[in-house]
Amino acid sequence: MTPPAEDTEDTAVVAARPRPRRAVSFRDAGPTAALLVIFVGFAAWSSQFRSIDNVQNIMDAAAVLAVVTCGITFVLMMGSIDLSAAGVMGASALAVALLVENNRNGNDLGLLGIALAVLLGAALGAVSGLALVLLKVPSFMTTLGVSAIGLGLATLMFGGVQPNISDKMLESWATERILGFTYLTWIAAGCVLVGWLIQRYTRLGRYAFAIGGAEEVLALSGVKVAPYKVAVFTFAGAFYGLGGVMVTSQLGAGLVQAGEGYDFSAITAAVVGGTLLTGGRGGVLHSAIGVLLIMVLTNGLVQVGVSPYWQGGVQGLIVVAAVAAAVIPQRRRNQVVK
Amino acid sequence: MSTPVTVKPMAEPVVVGRGPSLADRLTSFMPVIALLALLTALTIADPDFLTRRSLTAAAFTAAPLIVLAAGATLVVLCGGIDLSIAAMASLSTVFLALWLPDLGAFATPAVIGVAALFGAVQGAAHVLLRIPSFIVTLGGMSIFSAVALVVSDAGTVPVVDDSAISWLNLYVATYIPMSVAVAVIVVVAISLVIKATPLQSWVRATGYSESAARLAGIPVDLVKIGAFCVSGACAGLAAVMLVSRNFSGNPSMADNLLLPAVAAIVVGGTAITGGHGSLWRSLTGALVVTLLRVGLPIVGVPSAWEQILYGAIIVAAVALTLDRSKVLIIK
Repeated sequence: MTPPAEDTEDTAVVAARPRPRRAVSFRDAGPTAALLVIFVGFAAWSSQFRSIDNVQNIMDAAAVLAVVTCGITFVLMMGSIDLSAAGVMGASALAVALLVENNRNGNDLGLLGIALAVLLGAALGAVSGLALVLLKVPSFMTTLGVSAIGLGLATLMFGGVQPNISDKMLESWATERILGFTYLTWIAAGCVLVGWLIQRYTRLGRYAFAIGGAEEVLALSGVKVAPYKVAVFTFAGAFYGLGGVMVTSQLGAGLVQAGEGYDFSAITAAVVGGTLLTGGRGGVLHSAIGVLLIMVLTNGLVQVGVSPYWQGGVQGLIVVAAVAAAVIPQRRRNQVVK
Repeated sequence: MSTPVTVKPMAEPVVVGRGPSLADRLTSFMPVIALLALLTALTIADPDFLTRRSLTAAAFTAAPLIVLAAGATLVVLCGGIDLSIAAMASLSTVFLALWLPDLGAFATPAVIGVAALFGAVQGAAHVLLRIPSFIVTLGGMSIFSAVALVVSDAGTVPVVDDSAISWLNLYVATYIPMSVAVAVIVVVAISLVIKATPLQSWVRATGYSESAARLAGIPVDLVKIGAFCVSGACAGLAAVMLVSRNFSGNPSMADNLLLPAVAAIVVGGTAITGGHGSLWRSLTGALVVTLLRVGLPIVGVPSAWEQILYGAIIVAAVALTLDRSKVLIIK
């Protein structure tokens, strides 16, 4: 990547295309290449790692993170940030556990219950978005607040007695397999596909990109930006809601801590996949690669014998390194970094 | 996330309180008003609240929060945010519990020193690598948690002989808990040091307009690293207070203090956009948050509402204190 190519890239939204494309394709290939290298490395190191069972494990373990990351990617594409995943997931996990067949009350709503839990997630996302555009509070603050609100709602619903689910369908999501992968994994794959279609073919997805690239320009061209921002946060909230439902299916019970750590892991996965925190670059497919990278790394390190307690620390290092690497081309510009 | 910032021309050094409107003044005194209102409300709800016993109990809870919030306030004044304070404090409790048997009285300065060093490393990463502060500290948060888990083997580390830190549980003038006195001394000391040196204007200038500060020859990078360093040291001190109360160290002991600390800063009226605010405001904010925490059960509200309240308060307080003239686009 030579400096002149980078210069054109900064204005890529309006500039002619031919030259930036080459740099973009390099950037796109980076995470995929890293994924392959890491995978081959671990496979050569550990015979346990390269077993079919373990590959299935990795894919199944990646399901929830993939769904959450799918949602957060849209927020990051706008240049905003979302720290609310943990709270929203906790709230929807408890909601779904209380709405489907369970040991706490007589509800047996099945699919409707799942839809309501996802809707709750969307509603919490909408609160973040509305606080952002109406109160003009930066998104990392609104989502930090909404995360606390979600955890509070979850604690209220928890009420001291753990709701265990006995809904056959929801339980089967985590246990039944098609072609070797659990239903959850297929749901996650479906979410990634839906996310990609929305990003590629709908106004919401295109505007999310544009808002991240140059919000001012978009606003000056007469686009009402605010509704799209709220919509993106709502959309992301729905994905976290589904993530919470999936965790409940895995655990067989609704827990307040269902989403613990997912907010940070999702940001890590998206950033590692090549989505810039400044917005305007990346996408759902990048994030999917990022998710696989994180999961392969986590799984591989455990197989090689590293204490699982280091997991969070490794992710922390990776995210800082990935963001730093993404910023290097721009560091000469006199830009204020808060 | 880089925020476009307009450079505001400032002919006069900004003197807070010169010719602000009545609404501005009210907003400015809001933390104190909120504190008094809460005290009154709690006393009415439970006449026993204004007794020495419940007040000292509240004060003991407040002390670590005051110290945490005070340190992080410096970072916020510079325009950044430190999300790692709680995890740093948790890690420090583990270190302190592990080192007390060997180092004795020297364990306290050692822990504070290590925490300050970690803080400075985060600051350096933020400044040199040009990574947004909330990402650096978010990464720091998970790294510190991981280190704490590994070092403590994911369990509580008991403190058998706490003679080296038990002085924090004594009382000054028979009424004021020592830890609260230390917390106030920390706030006074940092405030004085800042006021007596050019640091006050350096920190403010960095927060108000970083590019202008840089052009004016202020060592912006050093100021920021220093702020993160102090923030880390304060987290270390808060950890010492926590260990002296709980007689143990735990890798997640202080984790639930992050939201209250951020809430204390913004409730106090320090603008999250940087520049405007002070450590005294965070002290008031920490007291407000503590009263809310202690007061909810008294009024009969289940503690689950506490979280919801924190969330709502943070968003509302930031919305009230945000300096909108500075940020063109809110991300």
